Amino acid sequence: MPVIEVKELTKVFKIPKKEPGLGGAVKGLFRPQYENKLAVNGINFKLEPGEIVGYIGVNGAGKSTTIKMLTGVLMPTSGTIKVLGRDPHRQRVENARDIGVVFGQRTQLWWDLALIESLNLIAKIYDVHPVKYRLMLDKFTETLELDELLKTPVRNMSLGQKMRSELAAALIHEPQVVYLDEPTIGLDLIVKERIRDFIKAECISKGMTVILTTHDLGDIEELCQRVIIIDDGRIIYDGPIETIKKQFGKFREITFETVEDVKGLDLPKGSELLSTEDHKVQIRFDRTVSSASRVAGMVMKQIEVRDFSLSEPELSDIVKQIYNGALEREV
Amino acid sequence: MIQTARRNLSIYGSIFAMIPKVFMAYQLWFWIGLVLNVISMAILVYFWRAIYNETSTISGLGLGQTLTYILLAFIFMPLTSNDLIWEFGSNLREGTIIHHLLRPINFQGMNYAQMLGGLVTRLILQVPMAVIAVLLFGLRFPTDLVTWLAFMVSALLGFTVMFFFNWLLACLTFYTTEIWGLGVLIDGMTFFLSGALVPLVMMPEWVRTIVLSIPFAQALAVPVGLLTGITPLTDAPRVWLIQLLWILGLWVASTLFFRVAVRKITVQGG
Amino acid sequence: MTRYLNLYWYFLIQRLKVLMEYRASFILGASSTIVWQASSIAAVWVVMQKVPNLNGWNYDEVLLVYGFVTLSKSINHMFADNLWTLGRIYIRSGGFDRFLVRPIDPLFHLLADRFCQDGVGNFLVGAALVIKSSVALGIDWTPAKFLMLVVGVLSGGFIFIALNLITCVTAFWIVDSVPVTRLVFDNHLFAQYPLTIYPKAINVLLTWIIPYGFASFYPASYLLNRDIGNIAWFGPFVAAFLLFIGYRFWQFGLKYYSGTGT
Repeated sequence: MPVIEVKELTKVFKIPKKEPGLGGAVKGLFRPQYENKLAVNGINFKLEPGEIVGYIGVNGAGKSTTIKMLTGVLMPTSGTIKVLGRDPHRQRVENARDIGVVFGQRTQLWWDLALIESLNLIAKIYDVHPVKYRLMLDKFTETLELDELLKTPVRNMSLGQKMRSELAAALIHEPQVVYLDEPTIGLDLIVKERIRDFIKAECISKGMTVILTTHDLGDIEELCQRVIIIDDGRIIYDGPIETIKKQFGKFREITFETVEDVKGLDLPKGSELLSTEDHKVQIRFDRTVSSASRVAGMVMKQIEVRDFSLSEPELSDIVKQIYNGALEREV
Repeated sequence: MIQTARRNLSIYGSIFAMIPKVFMAYQLWFWIGLVLNVISMAILVYFWRAIYNETSTISGLGLGQTLTYILLAFIFMPLTSNDLIWEFGSNLREGTIIHHLLRPINFQGMNYAQMLGGLVTRLILQVPMAVIAVLLFGLRFPTDLVTWLAFMVSALLGFTVMFFFNWLLACLTFYTTEIWGLGVLIDGMTFFLSGALVPLVMMPEWVRTIVLSIPFAQALAVPVGLLTGITPLTDAPRVWLIQLLWILGLWVASTLFFRVAVRKITVQGG
Repeated sequence: MTRYLNLYWYFLIQRLKVLMEYRASFILGASSTIVWQASSIAAVWVVMQKVPNLNGWNYDEVLLVYGFVTLSKSINHMFADNLWTLGRIYIRSGGFDRFLVRPIDPLFHLLADRFCQDGVGNFLVGAALVIKSSVALGIDWTPAKFLMLVVGVLSGGFIFIALNLITCVTAFWIVDSVPVTRLVFDNHLFAQYPLTIYPKAINVLLTWIIPYGFASFYPASYLLNRDIGNIAWFGPFVAAFLLFIGYRFWQFGLKYYSGTGT
């Protein structure tokens, strides 16, 4: 029995068209023109209980619109959503009881209240049984190291502390479905790891179904078994994380800052030149075929390098590649 | 010749086309603010008219005189504004006050010029309200040039009194962050204490004494008294002298307090 | 229902805890409203020393009217002050979505999230004025009159809240609804004095269109045995009607919001 079932989900936004000039302004007042923006275009997917799914896409792809519809905040234009058998928009309150939501940048905690007070209030709102609440609180205090934080109001917390508190608040009522929107954004690596560990431990042990939207591929790699990629309102990939890892996990990018303009370069096998604009040479190489040192060595023999940096491929790059059929080719 | 005419026409045309655009671009707040002011004026007018139902003069003032005074006091309310306190507060909070103190300009002078500019802007924005007062409530502005000159001198003096008084209060921002609350408290009191709600002559002796012992009335009741003729022009020099004395006293007090406060901030840190 | 009452109580306690922390601004806030009122009342007192008759109403009778509207206003000020922040604070930042994701009524959440301490100042002033004037006037407190006192203040309070709600719902469309709210709210200033001093048009406005008259003039008139018929008892019906409209409009606005997103 799928926990989340989405069928032909579509959302169209009517954006008012603004015409320039005085005539346009007057016209806009009396006979406004609209154009339709298709934010989500007939998407379909099912989530079984306990799945942890990464829902990724570039900005504007339709991610947040989908999440808003799934959480019942936004009404679909057409199509159906069933979360735990309910329509999240029509049965908003019942659905709300069983879900936990983390909106990465916007805290649900009260700014001036000590964390413990916020959690108490949330427990009251979600009608958490006092005994159960006590248990959960003790557990989270331990696993999220909240001891000193409990007396601290949110306004005095660092980003990492905020996020740990946020997770506690979102999961304190043991929701069956959890939506995590950018939970690790802006955090340093150590804190990210702790957050990821917590999510793994808590959600998996309770069999929660999780949808994670993020730009951080590290999050996806560590937490998700399945990835859904949305682009321009449509789902362009829905499958196991393994395939993504195999296809893109092996890639790394080196960017060299050069003194002079570079026209062409000889590169070792398994690497390709992405761009040479702006005195920056970008090269992508396959870790399984070549190595950073080999590429760097070869490049620095040919040109004068001022600085260089190593990075993982961008999500937008992956999306582009998928569009160009990269995924299909390998499989 | 025709070319020039056509060009001029198109220039004027585009200027005229700007007017409705400006109208529509104007914030909702401006128009609604105007309505809110009209409501306040209406209440004042009807209140006083009802009071004057019983008698033709109060403390020697007829209905016409009183209404003129009340409406003019309402229109010239910006003379009592305490923007300076808010400026100080926000400057202090953002730390920009240090930059100002380091600049080789007279800090007080600079602020005075700023506030004066603010006053002029505010008064210009009061014009639509004044027009409505004339059209709707029959307000008659005095026409005598000498009266206006006497008023303007007194208004400037009164404004300066308020400036130094606000400066004094603003120094409190160095000591407390609750300046917001203080500002609102003062706003509440200013309404009555500036003489905007009741002409000074109508107040009982003891109330008038209290009101005249604080600076607010110097900024509003005193100049508007001259403008409406409640205070005869022959009294103008005496009035100005009193205002000058206020300025002197407050200037000394505020400068001293400011020096003390600055020392606190530079010695102890902000 | 009891659950909501319980929940509101809890929200309130939390809010008071925070306010207590900022004790200085708590007191300042409450005092600032008191000072504002004192200014206006001082002016009325000074004037009525000279002319003790405002259109047939003496000083204490005027105070009674003023006190009534202040009491009613304070109910809105204390309990519904968060409404005007809907656009500027909740919708603009996307924070309103949080309400939609919680298993309680979003309007309740909006109201409960903020008890405004400044309103207490208004409440104290209003109560003091009503007590002072009714004692000075020697009102004969029949059960009906006592009922009118309670009914008048409560229905007045709900009229304030309903009008507040109606204007704030516009935030779903225009985000900054505050000018609209002020446009309606400031009309209550008329109701601080007996409506008889105003021309007919304003009487109609304050009785049938923006019915603040029921928050002050009509109950006060009843208490003073003035000849106004039974109109004073319409208050609760007017309040109920406006609340009904307000809530429907809120639901309409909510539907629009969840249809178009932010």
